Amino acid sequence: MNSQPSVPLDRERYVARDGSWVMPIIFSDPTLYEIEKQRIFGRSWLLLGHESQLPRPGSFLRSWMGEESVLVTRDRNGKIRAHLNACRHRGYQLCQEDRGTGQRFQCRYHGWTYDSDGSLAAVPGEESIYYREIDKPKWGLVPVPRLDTFRGLIFGNFDPDACSLEDYLGDMAWYLDIVLDRCAGGTELLGPQRWRIAANWKVVAENHCGDEYHVGFAHGSVFPNLAANRATPIPYAREIRPAMGHGLGANVFPDEMPPEEWLKAGLGEFPPPVYDYMLRIYDETLRRLGKQRAHISLIHGAVWPNFGMVPIVNSFRVIQPRGVNEVEMWSYSLVDREAPAEVKAWFAAQSARTFGPAGSFEQDDAGNWTAVTRSSCGFESRKHRLNLQMGLGHEERSDRFPGELGLTASEINQRGFYLRWMRDMFDGETRDE
Amino acid sequence: MSSDFELLIPIQQWLYREARLLDSRRFDLWLGLLDESIRYRIPNRALVRQAHAKDFSTWSVERELDGADSLALIDDDLAALRYRVGRLQSGMAWAETPPSMSRRLVSNVMIDSVREGCVSVVSTIFLAKSRNDGRVLFTAERRDKLAPIGADFRLRERYVVLDDAVLAADNLSLLF
Ligand code: FES
Ligand SMILES: [Fe+2]
Repeated sequence: MNSQPSVPLDRERYVARDGSWVMPIIFSDPTLYEIEKQRIFGRSWLLLGHESQLPRPGSFLRSWMGEESVLVTRDRNGKIRAHLNACRHRGYQLCQEDRGTGQRFQCRYHGWTYDSDGSLAAVPGEESIYYREIDKPKWGLVPVPRLDTFRGLIFGNFDPDACSLEDYLGDMAWYLDIVLDRCAGGTELLGPQRWRIAANWKVVAENHCGDEYHVGFAHGSVFPNLAANRATPIPYAREIRPAMGHGLGANVFPDEMPPEEWLKAGLGEFPPPVYDYMLRIYDETLRRLGKQRAHISLIHGAVWPNFGMVPIVNSFRVIQPRGVNEVEMWSYSLVDREAPAEVKAWFAAQSARTFGPAGSFEQDDAGNWTAVTRSSCGFESRKHRLNLQMGLGHEERSDRFPGELGLTASEINQRGFYLRWMRDMFDGETRDE
Repeated sequence: MSSDFELLIPIQQWLYREARLLDSRRFDLWLGLLDESIRYRIPNRALVRQAHAKDFSTWSVERELDGADSLALIDDDLAALRYRVGRLQSGMAWAETPPSMSRRLVSNVMIDSVREGCVSVVSTIFLAKSRNDGRVLFTAERRDKLAPIGADFRLRERYVVLDDAVLAADNLSLLF
């Protein structure tokens, strides 16, 4: 492989034009993965964290954008900043801690010291051995060129020419607001839990984006009665594709249905204090976002490329790629910042019991993703198409909410996911440096 | 001191029996070892700086552990543990169907204190699990509270300090 890999020009080779099949080789080919680093993780808006994780000047956290270690700080003036976590002298990973507080970052290799705004503050031997010839303003940490927030979530983008975060999210933002903007106090992130799965990142991300089909089978242990009924679409639930690459599933309850009725349709019963809280939040959502959105309850979803979510249990996660066949899951519980402590604690425990590494769902999901990835490594098995045709040609629109719709289940969102992959991988070629 | 020493043998035997039940997948019998008011918690752990690098006396593991108001890896009461265990025998809990092979080595058992018969005991556990994709190893400290029931004990509290910030495992399907 040369240092500047290029995709074979045959676009028909990996994903069908209509998204109805994909080739398993895209889950295992190291050359494609190298291109993904550049054309997908180098040009997408990627989730770095949440403002609540940086409560005061000097707060910092270490995060990732693709395989790039990124240092996110709140500088002396309270401004959030993100830089490559690599010293400009020899590239040592400057911050070696997950989070903390401190205005200065001293490199452990030779001691160059940076300020929380990324500027190079001190160089040992600046006078004696550098002859005062080092131009410190030129050797600050490399900033992530685009940084923006959406309702407290911090996103970064390595592409200086990328569209705005708002445009990138598009109609997905309309749906995200149902959890992020439902109350005046906003949200906060608890966690992350972190663990490793021997799976290609796309296998994990597409599952979050659109796979309602697996729920009855892969999670049969949680829904013993559902498994037998999978041929029937779930009432009220819809798969929604706000834009190519993003996707979600949601329960859309009729306007005339009282919340007391549909609040019980979640995963299990809310205990009394949580139930009361949810009713209060319903009223607040109604005031802030209107009836249409107050009656939508998000189940699962993903923001392209690797920000997955299971809002029905408050679980939000970043699927960090670690090579072509491994991911590091960063799984958070997203809670309303001003919710009572016992309500927050209940939601956190609920996230952990369902979609943490010890969760009733998540335990079994890892096996699905490693098995799919493993198959894609075989010379023979990776040559054969995988089927994504469910619901193709039956996409609909509604005047009630944005995006294209499919039944629950439908593979509308996975098709969008892989078509977006094709677009970024192939149309991005002309922009490579 | 001497009374602690006399307690040590039955406490050790209790912990060994418990480990054997879990290794032999008798999760149903394991539930019988739990006190009604059990809290089973595995906090999340992170790599953080110690407050005073130059003073060992201030270094603490606690600083690395998320508090009770944050997201844990497991935070279960009795009902949640019953559900957790019951799900494993649904026939569709795929991560443990067929069951993984596991072995728990319990060691370094120390009695911390005894209050009103309730024994605070610290032990270390080495949990090895192997399945399709090879072997996973965990080490942890367990901080338990055992409540006396006649000559026997029931587990009232377990706090597991895992020695990982990022788990080198694709799930936590087994209990410590
Ligand atoms: S690599 Fe950081 S000071 Fe040399
Ligand atoms: Fe799943």
